[in-house]
Formats: sequence, structure tokens, C-alpha cells
Amino acid sequence: MHDGSGRIAVQQLSKNFGTVQAVSDLSFTVEPGSVTGFLGPNGAGKTTTLRMILGLVRPSAGTATINGLPHDKLGEPARVVGSVLENEGFHPKRTARNHLKVYAAAIGVPDRRVDEVLELVGLTDAANRRAGGFSLGMRQRLALATALLGDPQALVLDEPANGLDPEGIAWLRTFLRDFARNGRTVLVSSHLLAEVEQTIDQVVIISHGQTRYYGQLEDLRKAQRQRVIVLPSDQEALTTALRAEQLTEIEQDDDGRLTVLDTTARHVGDIALRAGVAIYGLDERHADLENLFFQLTNGQYETEPQQQYQQGGQR
Amino acid sequence: MGKLIKAEFRKILTTKLWWGLLIVALLVAGGWAGLLSSAFDGIAEEIQRSDLTQRAGIDLADISFSVVFLARAINIATIFPMLFGGLAIASELGRKTITTSFLTAPNRTMLLGAKAITYVIWGAIYGVAITLAATLGIVIGTGGDHLVGVTTWLSTAAAGLLSCVLWTLLGLGVGALIGSPVGTVIVLLVYGLAIGPLSDLVLTGFAGGNANLAGALPNGAANGLTGSTAADTLAAEIEANAGGLSVLPGDLVERFQDTARLAAGGLGSYGLLASAAIFFGWAMLFFALGVVRTRARDIT
Repeated sequence: MHDGSGRIAVQQLSKNFGTVQAVSDLSFTVEPGSVTGFLGPNGAGKTTTLRMILGLVRPSAGTATINGLPHDKLGEPARVVGSVLENEGFHPKRTARNHLKVYAAAIGVPDRRVDEVLELVGLTDAANRRAGGFSLGMRQRLALATALLGDPQALVLDEPANGLDPEGIAWLRTFLRDFARNGRTVLVSSHLLAEVEQTIDQVVIISHGQTRYYGQLEDLRKAQRQRVIVLPSDQEALTTALRAEQLTEIEQDDDGRLTVLDTTARHVGDIALRAGVAIYGLDERHADLENLFFQLTNGQYETEPQQQYQQGGQR
Repeated sequence: MGKLIKAEFRKILTTKLWWGLLIVALLVAGGWAGLLSSAFDGIAEEIQRSDLTQRAGIDLADISFSVVFLARAINIATIFPMLFGGLAIASELGRKTITTSFLTAPNRTMLLGAKAITYVIWGAIYGVAITLAATLGIVIGTGGDHLVGVTTWLSTAAAGLLSCVLWTLLGLGVGALIGSPVGTVIVLLVYGLAIGPLSDLVLTGFAGGNANLAGALPNGAANGLTGSTAADTLAAEIEANAGGLSVLPGDLVERFQDTARLAAGGLGSYGLLASAAIFFGWAMLFFALGVVRTRARDIT
């Protein structure tokens, strides 16, 4: 029997498709009560990892478990984990309600659960329409309804915002936060940090199939250094004054601007006043997660050939 | 397992494939039986001329040799349950609904087990319907003059039922092995309509009409299952009705069985039990291969 913890654990997970290494030596855990973002550029191995967690793809090495067990040992897997995957199929001729009734039977939940989940995702009015005529957003909602049939402890979503309108995204955000607040687990992948930034507490960033960052989003934000950009009347005078205040990391540019790291606009303004330097412009740049995310995952396609070349040269 | 079987039934009944194929199967079985049995005079004469009926002094009217057409019509119509089984897994792979099916089942082996049970039941439903349609075809085709005796009908119907069930299971395995619905339908149709019958014909031609390799191949064995049943029961009826001789010569009975089996479409096939065992083996082999392939498949 599974341990009922709602924890998703990935340990030294690897997957090769032929000679292509899709995921290599990936490890992280997703704790209940939180929304974990699973981020990386397209082709980083996110989908493959999620599908290994769900038992759809067999790992080449390592393990992926939910509640301490691999998916095919969970017994009643749909009551433990629900998922919304890209490329998930519906029979085009089957109505939304019939689609849900098929899987309600497989899971062993009563048919009234079908109407509950239809209501929950806002598809009640479309219940008797064929899935083949659904828009992408409606398909996403139907996929979520299917995932929720078994009232699972954990939800795994692969790029769920794809195809959703802004209203749908906002709805999903609230839904996932509430779901996690009830002590359940949410793992949601995206290639855009901004898309999930307001939803997630924890983040796993991967690139090249390897973990680049794993921890609290707040810690990542703190790790990003704040900077102040200032346009003074006298570049040199202000630089000297800042140095005197122990602010040594200063960049000068040709337009007469200074970029000062690890400080605030207010602090720079006070120093300039004391030094008698006039300020024509002052701008504080907050932690730019997107930029950091880009740095962490940067060069997935640029550096790889170079590394291969170097390795080749060493032989 | 019961939950998964219920889900499989819902999958089938919420789309139209089952009755689309069933209607065509009924038309083919009924039409074929009717056509053959209405054109039955020529063949009837041939049988009447055979040494066995001559020496046994049998009147053809006493013998239910329409069973030969019944068997033949059922054989042809088994293509439809075969296709129905073939699409069981292949269409789920093609439409990607297999993802949700895997995610809601305890494991893949149990899902395939549930599918096998469900499709065995559906194979039997097809079998019953096809047999009834073929029987109706014979009633219409012969104008009710040459109906099949109850025992003979029952044993042929049972053989037809088993044949439909095994074809469904074999199709299911082939579909799981190939994975694409179009590919599965093409492979099954090309084998069932062209390669199977042609190889039976050619191999049997080389073997001078005797049981041979063709009877050991899936199509030959399946045809043998129904064909031998028809041939055996016919021979038994003839022996029972034999007025001229108290004991019919064994080689004559055997030769008659071969002729009747041939007429029933069982080219080069072995006897009933051997054919049943061989075809059961083929169905199990393909199903097992399909299970192995499906368990190993990465759903990306």
C-alpha cells in the first residue's frame, strides 16, 4: 500500500530515446500543500519526466514515485494522482459526459461524480457535445475534469495554460492554489516562468534534462541582486561618493549612467544629495525572475555543440 | 477488473463502430449464405454422385448439407469481429485515449486483461449474430427446403462462435502489436481477404487437396474449425442414414469429409479438434505478443 503522503519523489531519473538523452540524473521532491513549478525551455525534458512519474514512459534509470510507490503499484492510481497532459486524447465522437463516464467506471466512482466535475470546470452546458468539436481551452477543461474524477491527492499538469484564455488561466491559478491549500500536491510544468510565477511556491528548473535549480521561489528571488540605475550630473563624483559608502560594484556606461548593485534608490539618492551631485534619473530594478530563469536555462542549444566539439578535441 | 470491464463496455457503446461493423457482418453472412445455398444445385449433384452417397444409397434430401454454406458464410463474416478486435487497442493508441486508460487502470496488464474479457464477450455477440444471419440466409436461399438438422446446426454454430471469439482476440493482439489503426486494418484485411485464402489455395494445390501447412496457418486453421465441424457432422449424418451398407468403408468416409471440408472453405485444414487447437494457439500467441508490446510501449 502507498504511504498516503502525497509526496512526489524523483530520484536520479534518466531516459534515453535511442541515442537522445531526454532526461539525465534528475532528482527532486514535490511536497504536499504546495504548488511546485516545473520549469525549463521546450525540449528540456519536462514532459518526459512528468510521463515517467505517471508511468507512461519507462525510465532508463532511476525512480519516480508518488506516495512512495511507482504509478503501476498504486492500486487505484486515479484516486492518488490526476493529470492534465499535452496531447491527451479524446475520442472525437464521444461526448464530454460519455468520456467522463467511461473513466468514472474505470476508477470506480459513481456517475454523479461526472456531473460534479463538469460543474467544477464549467463544462456543464457542453456536457452532451462531442469532444471533437471542443476548442483547445475546452479540451483542457475536460482533461482537468477527467483528472479530478478520482478526487486525487496530487495533480500533475503539463503546460496547462496552453490554449486557455486569460480568464481561464486566472481561474486555474485560483483552483490550483486552493487545491494545494487543502494539503494536496500540485506539480505544474511551464516553459514560461511568468505564466506560473504567481501560482507556485516551489520551483524546479531544468535544462538539458538536468536540474539547474530546485528550491523555494522566494529563495530564488532573494538570490537575485537588486540594482539601481542612476543618471547623475557628474558620473565621477557620484562614483567616488558611492565607493566611500562601501558600494563598490558600479558600472558606468557611455550615456553617463551608473548601475549600482545591492542597494536601493533611496540610498543612492541620499548619497548623491550629500555629495552635492544632481540626479536627473533614478530607477530601481527589482529581482527579475524571468531574466534569472533565462540565465539558468540559457544556451541549451548554443553551448551543447561547443561542448561536444571540445570533448571531441580532447580525444 | 470488473470496473475496467464496465469501462471497456462503455467505451464500445458510446461510439458507433460496434454496430457499423455488425450490420455489415450480418449483411455479408446472410447474403453469402443465401447466395451459396440458392446456387446449391450444382454442388448437390456432385455430392449425390460421390461414391459414398451412391454406395450408401442415401437420398440427399435427408442430409443437411446446407451446413457447408452455413460454415462458409460464417468463415467470411469472421473478418468483422477480427477488425473489431483489431481496433480495440490500436484505435486507443491512435487517438491517444490510451493515456487516460493507462492512468485510470491499476496497471497495463490488468487493462489488457479487461479488454480481452470484454472483447471475448463481444466476439461471442458477433458470433451469435453472424450465425443467425447466415442461418436466415440459408432459409431464404433454399426456400426452406434444405434446412440444417438441429445437432448439426448447433455444433456448427458453436464452432462459428468459437471462431469469432478467437478471431477477435487475434485481431486485438495484432492491433496492439502494430499500434496504428490504419496499419492494423490494412494488415488484417490483406491477410484475411488475400494472403490467407490465396496461400491456402496454393499450398493445398501443391498438397493435392490433403491437409497441409495451410491448415496450420491462422486462416486455414480458423476455416478448418468451422469447415471440419460441417464436414464431420455431414459424414456422421450420412453414416447414420446409410441404407445400402451397414458399415461404410473408412477411406470413403474420409474422402467425403475432405470434399465437404473443401466445400465449406476449409482448404487443406486438419480435423476439428486439431484446427481448434491450432487456431487457439495462434490467437493466444498474437494476444501474448500484443500484451508484451503494450507493456513495453512508451506513451509520449
